[in-house]
Amino acid sequence: MSQPLSLDAIGLPGRRHEQWRWTDLSAIDAALAGHANDAAPDPRGWLIDGVAGPVLLFVDGRYCAAGSDPQQLTIETSGGDEAHVLSRLTRGAVGATLRLGAEHATRGPIQLVHVATGGPAHLHHRLSLAVDAQASIVETYVGAPDSWTNVAVDVDLATGARLMRTVRRLGAGGVHTETLHAGVGQGASYMSTSLLAHAENVRIESQARLHGAGAFASLDGILLGRERQTYDVVNRITHDAPGGSSRQTWRSVADDQSTLSFAGKIEVARPAQQTDAEQSVKALLMTRTATVNSKPELEIFADDVKCAHGATVGELSKDALFYLASRGVPPAEARALLTESFISDALATVGEELVRAAVTADAVGWLRGAA
Amino acid sequence: MMLEISDLHAGIDGKSILKGLSLSVNAGEVHAIMGPNGAGKSTLGYVLSGRQGYEVTSGSVSFEGRDLLALEAHERAAAGLFLGFQYPVEIPGVSNLNFLRTALNAQRRLRGEAEASGAEFMKLVKRHADDLGLSMDMLKRPVNVGFSGGEKKRNEMVQMAVIGPRLAVLDETDSGLDIDALRVVSEGINRLRAPTRATILITHYQRLLDYVVPDFIHVLVDGRIVRSGGAELAHELEREGYGAIAA
Repeated sequence: MSQPLSLDAIGLPGRRHEQWRWTDLSAIDAALAGHANDAAPDPRGWLIDGVAGPVLLFVDGRYCAAGSDPQQLTIETSGGDEAHVLSRLTRGAVGATLRLGAEHATRGPIQLVHVATGGPAHLHHRLSLAVDAQASIVETYVGAPDSWTNVAVDVDLATGARLMRTVRRLGAGGVHTETLHAGVGQGASYMSTSLLAHAENVRIESQARLHGAGAFASLDGILLGRERQTYDVVNRITHDAPGGSSRQTWRSVADDQSTLSFAGKIEVARPAQQTDAEQSVKALLMTRTATVNSKPELEIFADDVKCAHGATVGELSKDALFYLASRGVPPAEARALLTESFISDALATVGEELVRAAVTADAVGWLRGAA
Repeated sequence: MMLEISDLHAGIDGKSILKGLSLSVNAGEVHAIMGPNGAGKSTLGYVLSGRQGYEVTSGSVSFEGRDLLALEAHERAAAGLFLGFQYPVEIPGVSNLNFLRTALNAQRRLRGEAEASGAEFMKLVKRHADDLGLSMDMLKRPVNVGFSGGEKKRNEMVQMAVIGPRLAVLDETDSGLDIDALRVVSEGINRLRAPTRATILITHYQRLLDYVVPDFIHVLVDGRIVRSGGAELAHELEREGYGAIAA
């Protein structure tokens, strides 16, 4: 389809729709009027050192063969997904495609870096793992003012397959939208951890369908907001088969006048007996002017299920801050230390040491800058 | 003079608690401040350490020649002041070792000194933890989380020993301790006694003073020191009570 020229032309559902009530993507207008900067930085600078796997580099929605090493992956053009207002825009866009069998494991985690320099950029990734195949992918999206990165991700996991996704949103400014559809087969595991920061507007919409018995999905993440940034995460996990389990661990740190929202829905269909679903959503307000929205939602049609959810919003403990001060730790460092410990729960599922260290360093960098 | 408190008036939430407190402490001395509940003992510790919310309305405090009240809490710590908490704070998610290393290095940075290396730090902690009967396993756990009252106080003493302050203000360090823990904690305090350091023990009971014998005892009643004397004053207090001394 032709690319829209304004936010209105995209036709987002608007705030009266439950799934969009906290969404603010108003910075898209500036991005649609924005232009790519020809002096693009080298995307290789955003790779995590020491991770030995396939490398795919993109700038402003275009694949950069120079510096990439796709190995088992291919770059394919998207047909778009008419069913979704944002995925639809990826028609004709490129993205990483992985079709992996158990016998062709990658050497190490796949690294994908996209650098946006200005204007809109669309990407569509497809990750399909055959029976018992395993893969880990780190996606790093680097934003810039007046840029919009719109990503569609389709995940299909066959019996016993395992996919770990780590998503980092870095850079400065711009809009980031991601629409994920994941199908998780019997005994398969889909795990994602997202660090969302440094963007003006973010919307992440994830739908994971656990259609095989004993499937597992975890959708974890960290939202770090400052200034007038507006981030919105909408998760929907559907348990369709018996014995599945799901986890959602989200930690938000809202500074200045930022607004961070999370809505997580767990649906348990009638056949999905012995489902075990947990959701833990905690937010820290660094100032009284920041806003945090949190909405857990359960829709359960099976009778033998375990669903737990907890949501808290709070401030850093004054007692703990004074205790640290009394031991010589300056206020900014004390706040950062307490905040780091607060977000650490959401990084627990990142398996590779190097990747977890890199994401932790990204978050710490943000926190130290904020404090 | 290490610490000179002159006519200090301070309070919280508009309530006046310290009402003209004066005290002089020289290096090498141990002072005990005793007094009934509500006399202002803990407030003195908080005011000296710079806790937010406590307001000094008049008077002055000089610490090693500097205006202590002009410094922020963390700067006071780096200048050599240590507050031992009556109720040490629990911090889930931050290990004792991380807490202590962050504190030690923050102080060293503020003083323009080199930070402790990992090996140097671990050696220092292990020595003091052994002395105070806290295992390294406990120090790997989150700060004070799941610690008994006695373990929390031992932990305060480990922190104090590792940081090595010039002046320690220990607020009710003896509360919540059984006899064995009291002995261990007292030994910890005594080990730090040195001609270059000073200690202020804030306590309600004389029990701690059997183990850590002070050079001076001051009786604090209603925000003022009403009487000062030597170690023998503790026994007089024990016999006659604060009411008789204050009268």
